[in-house]
Amino acid sequence: MKLASLTRSTLRSALVAALALTATACANKPLDPGSKEAATEVNDPLEVPNRFVFAANEAADVLVLRPAAEVYVAAVPNPIRDAIHNFIDNLMSPLYIANNLLQGNFEGAQFATGRFLTNTILGAGGIADVATQAGIPNRPEDFGQTLAVWGVGDGPYLVLPLLGPSNLRDTVGYGVDTVADPVRVWGYAADHKGALYARAGANAIDRRSHVLKEVDDLRRNSLDFYATVRSLRQQQRQAEIANKPVSGPDFPDFASAPKQ
Amino acid sequence: MGHMTVDNDSQAAISGPMMLTRRLFVACAALLAVSSGVGHPLVSSAFAQSADPGASVFMQKLGNDAIGTFSNKSTPKEQALQHFRALLHKGFDVPYIGRWVLGRYWNQASEAQQAEYQKLFEQLIVGTYAERFIEYSGETFKIVGALPEGETDTMVTTQIIRPSGPPVNVNWRIRKKDADYKIIDVVVENVSMGVTQRQEFSSVVQQNGGKVDGLIQALRQKVGKAG
Repeated sequence: MKLASLTRSTLRSALVAALALTATACANKPLDPGSKEAATEVNDPLEVPNRFVFAANEAADVLVLRPAAEVYVAAVPNPIRDAIHNFIDNLMSPLYIANNLLQGNFEGAQFATGRFLTNTILGAGGIADVATQAGIPNRPEDFGQTLAVWGVGDGPYLVLPLLGPSNLRDTVGYGVDTVADPVRVWGYAADHKGALYARAGANAIDRRSHVLKEVDDLRRNSLDFYATVRSLRQQQRQAEIANKPVSGPDFPDFASAPKQ
Repeated sequence: MGHMTVDNDSQAAISGPMMLTRRLFVACAALLAVSSGVGHPLVSSAFAQSADPGASVFMQKLGNDAIGTFSNKSTPKEQALQHFRALLHKGFDVPYIGRWVLGRYWNQASEAQQAEYQKLFEQLIVGTYAERFIEYSGETFKIVGALPEGETDTMVTTQIIRPSGPPVNVNWRIRKKDADYKIIDVVVENVSMGVTQRQEFSSVVQQNGGKVDGLIQALRQKVGKAG
């Protein structure tokens, strides 16, 4: 009872925040076809505090997360790592389905439902991703994307402690997804908070373990790693929201075009 | 280590019945998927619009050349580096990319600065990517499609198939210049390398009070460190 009312009030405040965002940030819709040039601009008025949090996250990564992911890759055989990844992700399916529906993407909801049923029943409770093998790839949809489809602008870029790069809209979305997450609801209702912490830890290590070499490369080759990550995150996010590649800025012909 | 390795290993290691079960599983999964209304495949009709077929031919040849060059592991490193440079300039319009990446700061730079920037940019590219190509470890690629991009270019879609890990989607923006094709941007999993570098360079210039010299200084340091 108490939990339900807490959830409801959190949801309500998240909704209010989302609506406030809609009201203030409608000006820069991410899907506006005229935003070709905006693709090269990043809205980062909080750059100074963001860089501070980014540096702290980097320290946490170098000291804790990256070593943990390395040990994980070295100690746990690949099939088991795949199973853990699939299991965690399969339990997110209800959120993907709900967000597809909220976006009015019924085909996407069917895909997500098909994946969830397939992997839960034939994939031994979600540890085997048979749906991908059958040609239904995973396509996560979160509430941040839903808000974007509803026309809410990105808001300022934010680097969240431990959670990493985000923006105001996606932070609200993350809050809503967290509250609505069925696993979390179950964890609180059945008083299995330990399981939730375990999942959060496993999830972080799993995600990090997929990009060990890539992140090392980027770190080594960047002149400004903060700006590189900010750019990567924005481009990937735009494609996730649009569910297709987003056309980038113009590539003028310098030889014949007048000077920029 | 991803699905591919697992599949190969398990198919090699296990006998008939297991494989049958596996195939059965996939078939059931497909059936279930269809019955829940998830029918048609996700592959888009990449050839729907007419794209310049020459761009795909060019890409195929460049890729084959690269694999042919770097799969020979007996080449001394110095020579492999030369090969990389030759392929880079054959396949990519490096001066164009360099200028595009500098964006609006190009016109603020003096001619001397532009020249030094372009030299350092080329060295940065070589420093960043040469190692990865020289340490070639059995990746292959296949061309998935080609679409016209903008008014002049062709986007050739490829999949890089890695010996370990899931395949990576890489798109190549190719522009025809006279009779030559050149790559002017690479998009890896929806991330444009050009846009990323432009935003990074722009940030470095801004951190240095809007002066291109700050970027050139940072590039000098980076390139110097890389050797």
